[in-house]
Amino acid sequence: MILVILDHDGSHLRKGALEAIARARQLSSLGNLAGLVIGENLGAVAEEARNYLPTVYTAEVGSYTPERWAAAAYAAVQKSGAQVVVVASSRQSRTWTARLALKMNAALLEDTLESSTDGSRVLASRYSFLNRVTEKQAAHLPVVLTAKPNTTPPAEPQGQGGIEALTVEQPGAQVEVLERVAEQKKGVSLSEATVVVTGGRGLGSAEAFAGVEALASVLGGAVGATRAVVDAGWRPYGEQVGQTGKTVQPSVYIALGVSGAVQHQAGMNKSKYIVAVNKDAEAPIFKITDYGVVGDVHQVLPALLEAAKKLKD
Amino acid sequence: MKFIAVLRQVPDNEAKLKIEGGQVSLGGVTLILDGMDEWAVEEVIRLKEAHGGEAVVMALGPERFEEALRTALAMGADRAVHLVAEGYVDPISQAQHLAETIREEAPTLVFTGGQQADWDSQALGPALAEALGWPVVTWTTQLELEGETQAKAKHDLDEGAELVRVPLPAVFTSQQGLNEPRYPTLPGIMKAKKKELRKVPLSVQSKVEVLEQTIQERQRLNQVIDGSKDPVAAANQLIRLLHEEAKVI
Ligand SMILES: Cc1cc2nc3c(=O)[nH]c(=O)nc-3n(C[C@H](O)[C@H](O)[C@H](O)COP(=O)(O)OP(=O)(O)OC[C@H]3O[C@@H](n4cnc5c(N)ncnc54)[C@H](O)[C@@H]3O)c2cc1C
Repeated sequence: MILVILDHDGSHLRKGALEAIARARQLSSLGNLAGLVIGENLGAVAEEARNYLPTVYTAEVGSYTPERWAAAAYAAVQKSGAQVVVVASSRQSRTWTARLALKMNAALLEDTLESSTDGSRVLASRYSFLNRVTEKQAAHLPVVLTAKPNTTPPAEPQGQGGIEALTVEQPGAQVEVLERVAEQKKGVSLSEATVVVTGGRGLGSAEAFAGVEALASVLGGAVGATRAVVDAGWRPYGEQVGQTGKTVQPSVYIALGVSGAVQHQAGMNKSKYIVAVNKDAEAPIFKITDYGVVGDVHQVLPALLEAAKKLKD
Repeated sequence: MKFIAVLRQVPDNEAKLKIEGGQVSLGGVTLILDGMDEWAVEEVIRLKEAHGGEAVVMALGPERFEEALRTALAMGADRAVHLVAEGYVDPISQAQHLAETIREEAPTLVFTGGQQADWDSQALGPALAEALGWPVVTWTTQLELEGETQAKAKHDLDEGAELVRVPLPAVFTSQQGLNEPRYPTLPGIMKAKKKELRKVPLSVQSKVEVLEQTIQERQRLNQVIDGSKDPVAAANQLIRLLHEEAKVI
């Protein structure tokens, strides 16, 4: 049995859940599929999920803690006898799936790009060494795997499954959430944007980001930032790209006054096209750019904005 | 109180990676204490300085990891435990072995890096927590002890952040903003040589096999436009290339 744990926002399945179902279907020679939704008031999402899967388990455990999610997933694994678990990859899921893998004494294949089976093992590829290396991994069952977002086309509906409620014992010691701080958001979502315009320390001030915002807006893209800029308080953390920020893979990534540290590259080096404006011709970012302008960003950015406006008129 | 940091040794950020025989070759590469683990080490040293007790550093990995443990001792950790295992060991198996040693130490809390800079894994912290039966807080940006039995922490989510209360013992993983790590001082380095570093040989079966590693860098055009004399012409050329040649805007 293959168990897909379905990410949702309380009323609908998220895109990642449909991608995870597609991944699970690719492994269907290893067993039948079942789904699990975890949370509270799961009626609507369970109804949606049964359009994709022959069996949908529900675990009404309340709001998220890694301990609760792992306990719910493990209850479904025991109930279904699943030997493979598939989940969309996120910081949150990479926390609780590690707990789950340990409970199952399973191999964990993290943030995989693709996955398949040779009949007895699960094979997967993923990035390592700060996104610079691509590696193939193999593991015998049981296996827990997380699927990197946007690596598999979302599944189409298929059949009409049954719904079964699980009882889950509340785990012992766990975190208690005191307060949630939402991310400041404006315009296009950074992770989904096809154009990302990122400003680095080379912009010199928070005010100079008005130009970055204007260019992103003309091109229908999102604003990104380096850690230096976030640390300086010029931009919110939610815009940070890199190892400790977000990973993006737009059609074009435009880096303005960004040196291109390895930790920054880890979040953007898979972009289709990379463009940089930097006054230092030796800046590391130029090693990975398709089009680079050597020059002062304070002169080049206003000119880029003008040219982009003309193009879009 | 006792505070434990679990760390790794990884290639330096500037290191040029090479592949030999289908695997990343670390020959000739400078190896350092993992940057996110460094935050974990700094945090346990600060906790010990503020609350008394002991800061212990621990690692599971090949012989060469001793250097990274020495760096942590030079920063100010009191002693080190090195579970010596050569070859690739997946984080879940690592957690199972480390948990046995950690349980014997009975610490107040354990800290480790949010993501490993070699395997890009985020699993070790939460897997350790599970093996120990403790709660976990990942991507921690702030930590404050409230006595010996609970702590308040702030941590990053996929989007936004959360303030949580967590019963101790617990496992935490680090995130940027947690602290600014100190540099080892010369006296610190001298002292570190005399600090206890206990080695425990281990033979571990990995649950995951790494079949092949490759460096699949996208071929870049590397076209350079001089924007120093005529920035307007350079900008026009760039926008035209993106529109007509790359067709991405
Ligand atoms: C564990 C760890 C995790 C990290 N995670 C991240 C992460 O997720 N994301 C991230 O971004 N960083 C991360 N960093 C930090 C990273 O190492 C760099 O310090 C950071 O990316 C530098 O940001 P920057 O390029 O804006 O600044 P700098 O490195 O200072 O570069 C500024 C650039 O602007 C250029 N410049 C200056 N003035 C002008 C001008 N007038 N016109 C044109 N160009 C100009 C300079 O030539 C220079 O290349 C991490 C570090 C560590 C240790």
